[in-house]
Amino acid sequence: MLRSFRHSPEPVQAPVRIISLEQQTEICRVAVQAGRIMQQHGAESKLIEETTVRLGKALGLESVELAITANALILTGLSQGRCITTTRRVYDRGINMHMVCEVQRITIMAEKQLLGVDDVVKRLERLRPFKHNRWLVVFMIGMSCACFSRLFGGDWAVFAMTFVASAVAMLFRQEMAHRHHNPILNFGMTAFVATSIAGLAVRYDIGNQPQTVMAASVLLLVPGFPLINAVSDMVKGHISMGISRWFFASLLSLGVAMGIAFSMWATGVSGWL
Amino acid sequence: MIELFKLLLNDALFSAVPAVGFAMVFNVPTRMLAFCAIGGAFAHSLRTLCIYWGVPLEWATLVASTSVGLIGVYWSRRYLIPRPVFTVASIIPMIPGSYAFTTMVGIISLYSNGFSEPLLATIIENGLRTMFILMALSFGLAIPSVVIYRGRPIV
Repeated sequence: MLRSFRHSPEPVQAPVRIISLEQQTEICRVAVQAGRIMQQHGAESKLIEETTVRLGKALGLESVELAITANALILTGLSQGRCITTTRRVYDRGINMHMVCEVQRITIMAEKQLLGVDDVVKRLERLRPFKHNRWLVVFMIGMSCACFSRLFGGDWAVFAMTFVASAVAMLFRQEMAHRHHNPILNFGMTAFVATSIAGLAVRYDIGNQPQTVMAASVLLLVPGFPLINAVSDMVKGHISMGISRWFFASLLSLGVAMGIAFSMWATGVSGWL
Repeated sequence: MIELFKLLLNDALFSAVPAVGFAMVFNVPTRMLAFCAIGGAFAHSLRTLCIYWGVPLEWATLVASTSVGLIGVYWSRRYLIPRPVFTVASIIPMIPGSYAFTTMVGIISLYSNGFSEPLLATIIENGLRTMFILMALSFGLAIPSVVIYRGRPIV
């Protein structure tokens, strides 16, 4: 274990190759595509920048400069005094760590000179986002929120109510996401569903602390990944990306709070504050 | 002593499940889910142990997330997988979701029910707690790349 800390793998620097203009364009396209896949599936800015730069250099560019903005990537590839700049629009495709892993793997293989430009293009095109079985996800998220209620000190009745509320909410969230609704609207409406079901526990006084059901059943909507990415972007110097991620995560939380408040107003059950 | 052990076991069990559940929402590859479970259980019970010893919540969180970050370095170099894949799912059980939502619900209530000092105090306390815990979590995860690797790629 210690050895793996001490020795950092030196990236295999490809010898500077004489490449034609067409090849240079091709490499720039591949590199920006790799970065784009990473950003669309929720990687942090440092990883996006690192990957595109490494991939571009591994395939034969002299240097790669990448500008990351909230919804576009701008990449310039240099070779023999020529610059090629290209911009790609980035659409949010939802967090998918499988895609991030695969792009990273392709980059490492290209860096070890196991893959040429054509192979990288082929492999990137072949990537399809892997998704876990949706019913399994619904079950696991129900169990997760129920476990949170247990950590907050609820008994088994609270556990069961939280499971029902958050599993139904997760199903609703998947349906909304499947229909490409706006994420903020999706989170707000899901929070409404979760809190309305959880409100039943308070109304009929189920379990030792019914209020816990309301608090725990909306925890499936915590924007954990955007918040963590936001802070780590800011720590690692990508301040503007960090701010935009932070603001987006805050808006999502505000949407959730709106859903909770609306549900409490509509059902007359109060569980927060 | 037995009580403490039971507390930690309870903690580990009930935080391993959320770590796996959220890892599945993030579509972590199936063979990596076990690592998320181990990380989640380890991090949350370490934090509980620190709180038991009297460490304040934010510092306990920092300790836990730093250790997850370091373990993540080992795993990511061994399996050639970016670090956030394990680490973010592992710290999900420690994310201050309830505090964040209390802050936001409080802000809405401040508008709809009118100003009151206790309500403002709730909002500020919960908001600050959310912010500091999040900073501890995220900074802890970043420590290996900020302090040890300093700009070099980990994988």
